[in-house]
Amino acid sequence: MNPSQTPLSTNSAQPQPSPLSQTTSGPNTLDIVNLRKVFGGRGKGGGVVAVNDVTFSIRRGEVLGLVGESGSGKSTIARLIARLYQPTSGEIRLNGEVVPHKLGGRGLRQLRRRVQMIFQDPYASLNPLHPVSYTLARPLKIHRLARGNTDPQVRVLLERVGLTPALTYAAKRPFELSGGQRQRVGIARALAAQPELILADEPTSALDVSIRLDVMNLMLDLKDQEGLSMLFITHDLAGARYMSDRVAVLYAGTLVEIGPAVQVIDQPQHPYTQLLKSAAPKPDAGLTPDHIEARGEVPDLSTLPPGCPFEPRCPYAMRECKDGLPRMYDVGGEHQARCLLHDPAIKARQAVAGYAP
Amino acid sequence: MNGVRILLRQPRSLVGAGILLVLLLMGLLAPLITPYDPNSLEFGPFMPLSAQHPLGTTAIGQDIFAQLLYGARLTLLVGAVAGLIATILSVTLGLTAAYVGGWVDEAINALINVFLVLPGLPLVIIAAAFLRGGGVWPVILVISLTGWAWGARVLRAQAMALRERDFVQAAVASGEGPGRIIFMEILPNMTSLIAANFFGAALYAVLSEAGLSFIGVGDVSLVTWGTMLYWAQAKGALLQGAWWWVAMPGLGIALLGTSFALLNFAIDQLGNPRLGWGSVKSPRRKLAPTPPAAGNALLAVRDLDVGYVTPQGTVRAVRKVSLDVAPGEFVGLAGESGCGKSTLAFAATRLLNPPGEVLGGSVSLAGHDLLSLTPEALRQVRWKEFSVVFQASMNVLNPVLKIREQVYDAMQAHGITDPARLDARARELFALVGIQIRYLDSYPHQLSGGMKQRVVIAIALALEPKLIVMDEPTTALDVVVQRQILQEIAEVRRRLQISIVFITHDLSLLVEMSDRVAIMYAGELVEQAPAHDLYAHPAHPYTQQLMKAFPPMTGPRERRSGIPGRPPSLSETLPGCPFFERCAVRMPGTCDVKPLETFTVGEAHTVACFLYDPAVSPATKELALSHALNPVIAKEVQLESVPNSALH
Repeated sequence: MNPSQTPLSTNSAQPQPSPLSQTTSGPNTLDIVNLRKVFGGRGKGGGVVAVNDVTFSIRRGEVLGLVGESGSGKSTIARLIARLYQPTSGEIRLNGEVVPHKLGGRGLRQLRRRVQMIFQDPYASLNPLHPVSYTLARPLKIHRLARGNTDPQVRVLLERVGLTPALTYAAKRPFELSGGQRQRVGIARALAAQPELILADEPTSALDVSIRLDVMNLMLDLKDQEGLSMLFITHDLAGARYMSDRVAVLYAGTLVEIGPAVQVIDQPQHPYTQLLKSAAPKPDAGLTPDHIEARGEVPDLSTLPPGCPFEPRCPYAMRECKDGLPRMYDVGGEHQARCLLHDPAIKARQAVAGYAP
Repeated sequence: MNGVRILLRQPRSLVGAGILLVLLLMGLLAPLITPYDPNSLEFGPFMPLSAQHPLGTTAIGQDIFAQLLYGARLTLLVGAVAGLIATILSVTLGLTAAYVGGWVDEAINALINVFLVLPGLPLVIIAAAFLRGGGVWPVILVISLTGWAWGARVLRAQAMALRERDFVQAAVASGEGPGRIIFMEILPNMTSLIAANFFGAALYAVLSEAGLSFIGVGDVSLVTWGTMLYWAQAKGALLQGAWWWVAMPGLGIALLGTSFALLNFAIDQLGNPRLGWGSVKSPRRKLAPTPPAAGNALLAVRDLDVGYVTPQGTVRAVRKVSLDVAPGEFVGLAGESGCGKSTLAFAATRLLNPPGEVLGGSVSLAGHDLLSLTPEALRQVRWKEFSVVFQASMNVLNPVLKIREQVYDAMQAHGITDPARLDARARELFALVGIQIRYLDSYPHQLSGGMKQRVVIAIALALEPKLIVMDEPTTALDVVVQRQILQEIAEVRRRLQISIVFITHDLSLLVEMSDRVAIMYAGELVEQAPAHDLYAHPAHPYTQQLMKAFPPMTGPRERRSGIPGRPPSLSETLPGCPFFERCAVRMPGTCDVKPLETFTVGEAHTVACFLYDPAVSPATKELALSHALNPVIAKEVQLESVPNSALH
């Protein structure tokens, strides 16, 4: 496992490429450094910055929860790591090895064995025409993990995700399965390639409430048993808290907060995370006591303000927020937040004025 | 294959295939049917119909019946081969464009468009004139080359849509190469479209061949139905009274065309099952006299039975559900997908479409018997007495009309026409749901999803209805926007004193918002209680497990479990409790055999669970609780919920 001294600089927001010294204390499963994706805008100007210089790491055996609303860029990040999209700039490292910017043929296939995805909608992510056995045997064959008959391995995969009797399930087509069972097939497909990293893109949000926890539990068990590392993407803070060791919060393509799951969600330090938390349903309180304070909605990514992207909606917005993207400030432990409220100078000024968030 | 079996059950495809088979046999068995050679000139000209020459002879003494039979061969050959070549071209170019994308796509797309704008028939005529006299192959070639573009465009669009589908992305992400992605993932999902495309192209080929031959630019020395028409015209068949010389090949072409068109349509329908619906008439239900609404309920649903009538049988989606909504009350309706909550809402508001059908029960709203109202009377009541807001209802806004006109619409339909009054009301409504007045003059695309949903809620409020039914109105929105809109809804309700029926799968949200919560499971209403009561003392084992089924926001991180299993199929008839299979505290011999009953366990708190049935012996209940599959749940049922009186 990773020693606790893992330099936090992996999470720093320095716009220039980070020094190579970061990975000296044993490689993380994944490092992404200043990852950036701009959609469109070939030719003159424009383009939508979907992922804006995002930097974070996933340690071995760790689940990193990636939280954000639609349009925050969270799914784009997963698709950049899986190379379904080509990054515009930045660096992705798997176990310390840099994934080359140009990848083709064997290199790409190798990457896709090491990194597997679980998709959001199990009704869309399985080809309706193929039986389960085909779907699960393909990764084994593509990556030459099975010699000849794949049936025994398919059976083991199905048993690992709790679909027993495996023989019955192997012969079924997607329309014969419930949503939860389909998602288990999706998880089995991801496991088939024996990946080092699993990218789970909202794997439970299309499922019914009563089966969500079982799918999450399955992923947690698999992580424990196989020492998998996982990026767990969700818009649900409670789900992220349940699943993750650490949580990263994304707003309009920018990483705004990262830290240990319980810390980030119990004591959010960025106003946006606080807003997200206050918006979650609380069955034991009425609506009124927690009237949320936020102006407007998630901005159009093509017209982002120059400074902090949350500034137009932020109840604590200050003049300085417009000056430029704030850096990540350490707020205790491994917890960091991209907000000027944590800038020592501004903190001091506010203490004098008797104002605190 | 499944599709073939479905095709064989359709009259359209059967007739089409039948005609094609007859024509095919005519061509293949021609030497057995007629002793004559179609080209021999051994008979006299213009012989009348006789037993020897069923269709007479031509101007130069050929047997027309023989020509008709042999002509089927070449006509079918042209149709089949040109259809095949055109389809192969369409598939190859369409798929390549869609899969490769980029400049390849642009180039192919440009080519397709060029071929589409070229006037087809003149091009065929010119091309055929150059290749004239070379037999049937030049004709086939020319027709194929002019007939592929339409299909390529359709297939390209379909393949592009498929390429973006998650299962293709999943195949890419698992390392699958382009060949297998095209041939194993994308192509099989386009089979019906490609088959339909083939018959469409074949139809075009047959008609083009006939047209070309008729005007004499084909090879007129061949015997096809087209050249028969050419010679009949050239030799003045009609002047000689030999109308059958023209009519029979014409009929042949028409029949072949019909057969291809029928097959094309039937296969197309296989890919778009919705094409076949729409004309299903739901038989009128015999209406029971409406019982008077209990107490002062605004909406009273009594023993409502709703089903979906399918060829495989009736799916009973809502089973004898009764629900009251008091004036000003906020009632939450929760359950998993497929539990019947939306069907209940649709049926109760008379919005159910075939194959859905109300099978029994009654719905009364403010004194109106909703299920027996005539369409005109329903129109009067709708929006004035009640309105509805649906999950994707931001999509109900018409993109080409200004918001203002759409807000006015419902009011104008109910007789408010004074512009000043309309404007004043629109402003009032916008203020109510928290939208700036200036958005009244915007178009829907200028508004965000949350804003659009607010507009829809404003429209639902326009005529001050007494009740609004909201079916997952915020599910498609982001959490923060969802919360803002829920706050507006709560605020509006307090101010206007309207009733709301709010449907969602998110129980924690409902408990927070509602006065009363009703839980549905597999078409049955299993528990009803005041929200705080339901939260503090859920009585039904399903509710209890549902309450624990989402991760908490606070407190220690501990493992929780969902509810194993899945709901029973709604097409089944269940003798007992529908939750039996998944229940941790089930009582075999009771729950799975007794018809479901509802028991009162507290003030306005009812539950459909035999643990609360005084007629079931305490010993049976204790046995179930002690044998519980899930000790945590069992403990809870024992400690919190089962009233002592029921246990002892």
